[in-house]
Amino acid sequence: MIEFRNISKVYKMGEVEFVALKGVFITVQKGDFISIMGPSGSGKSTLMNIIGCLDTPSEGSYYLEGKNVSGLTFDQLSTIRNRKVGFVFQNFNLLPYASAYENIELPMLFNGKKGAERKARVDELLEMVGLAPWAKHRPTEMSGGQQQRVAIARALAMDPPIILADEPTGNLDSKSGHEIMEIFSQLWKGGRTILMVTHDPAIAAFSKSTIRLLDGAVQANGIPN
Amino acid sequence: MILAFFRNLFRDLVRQPLRTFLTLSGVTWGTFAVILLLAFGTGIGKQQMKQFRGMGQSIILVFPGQTTMTYNGLPKGRRIQVTPDELPLLQARLPGIRALSPEFISSRNIRHGREQLLNTVRGVDVPFERIRNTIPGQGRFINEYDVEQHRRNCFLGATIAKNLFKGMEPVGKQVMIEGVPFTVVGVMIEKDQNSNYNGMRDTHCAFIPWTTYMTLYGVKYVQNFIVQPSDPALSKQTIAALRNYFGERLGFNPLDKDALFVWDFSDFERQFNVFFTAFNIFLGIIGSFTLLVGGVGVASIMLVVVEERIREIGIKLAVGAKRRAIMWQFFAEANCIILIGGTIGFLLAALLLALLPAKQLEEYIGIPKLNPLVGIVTVLILLAIGTISGLTPARRAAATDPIVALRK
Repeated sequence: MIEFRNISKVYKMGEVEFVALKGVFITVQKGDFISIMGPSGSGKSTLMNIIGCLDTPSEGSYYLEGKNVSGLTFDQLSTIRNRKVGFVFQNFNLLPYASAYENIELPMLFNGKKGAERKARVDELLEMVGLAPWAKHRPTEMSGGQQQRVAIARALAMDPPIILADEPTGNLDSKSGHEIMEIFSQLWKGGRTILMVTHDPAIAAFSKSTIRLLDGAVQANGIPN
Repeated sequence: MILAFFRNLFRDLVRQPLRTFLTLSGVTWGTFAVILLLAFGTGIGKQQMKQFRGMGQSIILVFPGQTTMTYNGLPKGRRIQVTPDELPLLQARLPGIRALSPEFISSRNIRHGREQLLNTVRGVDVPFERIRNTIPGQGRFINEYDVEQHRRNCFLGATIAKNLFKGMEPVGKQVMIEGVPFTVVGVMIEKDQNSNYNGMRDTHCAFIPWTTYMTLYGVKYVQNFIVQPSDPALSKQTIAALRNYFGERLGFNPLDKDALFVWDFSDFERQFNVFFTAFNIFLGIIGSFTLLVGGVGVASIMLVVVEERIREIGIKLAVGAKRRAIMWQFFAEANCIILIGGTIGFLLAALLLALLPAKQLEEYIGIPKLNPLVGIVTVLILLAIGTISGLTPARRAAATDPIVALRK
């Protein structure tokens, strides 16, 4: 499903070069639920961004569903982000002035889906994350757990096979965090591939295996939980 | 998608009322200025043209003068004199003349009852009516029987009729010109005219048959004559032919401009049109600059908006928006602001033009109108400004790096 062949990422800041990833090989099978762990600056976020096609590698090739996506243009990558990948962020990244409904609808607006189709899908997702009565509320009127559930619903809007979560429970209390992880478990059981960055071993325990990163390199791969 | 767009736009505009007001006011004022300048420009042009045509449309005035060149052994400084019977010959010999009239002018005492005025009296021929637009409002103009039989009939300008008769019906009454009784056969309609080449404006004149004029005042030569060419575009050729003809007949060099002084109104009209087109373009450019300043305001505000909404852009890119979609969003937003500002400016200008006491000002500036041309030009300028001021912010927005944007 996801295959990294010798991926490197180098950021240039003026004269200084910063190596975020060096020669990473990883393979993720369909239906995996993987935690990515490692100290700050070990390249977790860069790895996630490249998997999610938000960023492109400096070297190496990245195969997504057997297709090399390393050389694609930004707009071609946009299409992949829209259909193949759903993002869940630590700080939720919802549109503050839009309602829960509008936030969930957003990915479908860039896809030319018809109004009725969009409405049916948004209603279904709101039901799924248990926020049907909150459809008209703005993120500022919701708790962190509720906001993250809206974000998950948005990530699922286009029914992508892959979910990428960057510290999804980082800003939540442990009870809300567990509720969120329950949803991820359900999604995994439903057949989705999930990659999740986390610091917390208790959260990582929900996943099937763990990749450990250190200084931009894979330290350990496939540690079963 | 479209609904969501307008919801967003509305939210943006309402969220910061002061900023919205300032942004819109720049565009509103610019549009207002462009429309008013163009409306007044065309109004003034039309009024000037109308007043100018009060003297006649595409006419040629010919004043016999003095030679300044020797000719066939004759010295310079001779007076050129044209008798009225030359004119029918001229018309018979020269193609391209539609109508022709001699003109005699002098200042005379005109009296009716106790009202006595010193006004211009013109001796003219029948075609004068059509050439100079002396359209009768009551009665008729001088006719061919008046001319043939040297009748003492006269046709009055509207002002002189008003001054002499004080509201009484003038047609059929008698007026005394230099103590000689004349019957009023008609009164001219009110007419706009900003100047005259000789004597007072037409509204202040009394017109009598030229034959009567010659007999009464003992004049032998015409003061001037008026030619209306069949085709105003060929006026230059007609004038040249006319000089050739009279040069040979009366003995002067056809190149001698002072022997016959010619005033070509159709040429003047052409220059006049060129001038007013240039004038309107000038006004349009001034207005456009005002509007451009408004557009720059919109552009800078939109750049701020892009900066403020950088996270929103990042989120949209992350969930699959193409760069083009982001660009269109901001481009369309800038254009909508300009459209709203433009519409308000347009309505304000239309309101002002509607409320303007145009009738009282008409004599000086004409009636400023929102004609389609003004509308089209304004819309084109607005579109240009919208494109210019929308493109920079839109491109800035589209170039956002989603990773950087999401970190903010």
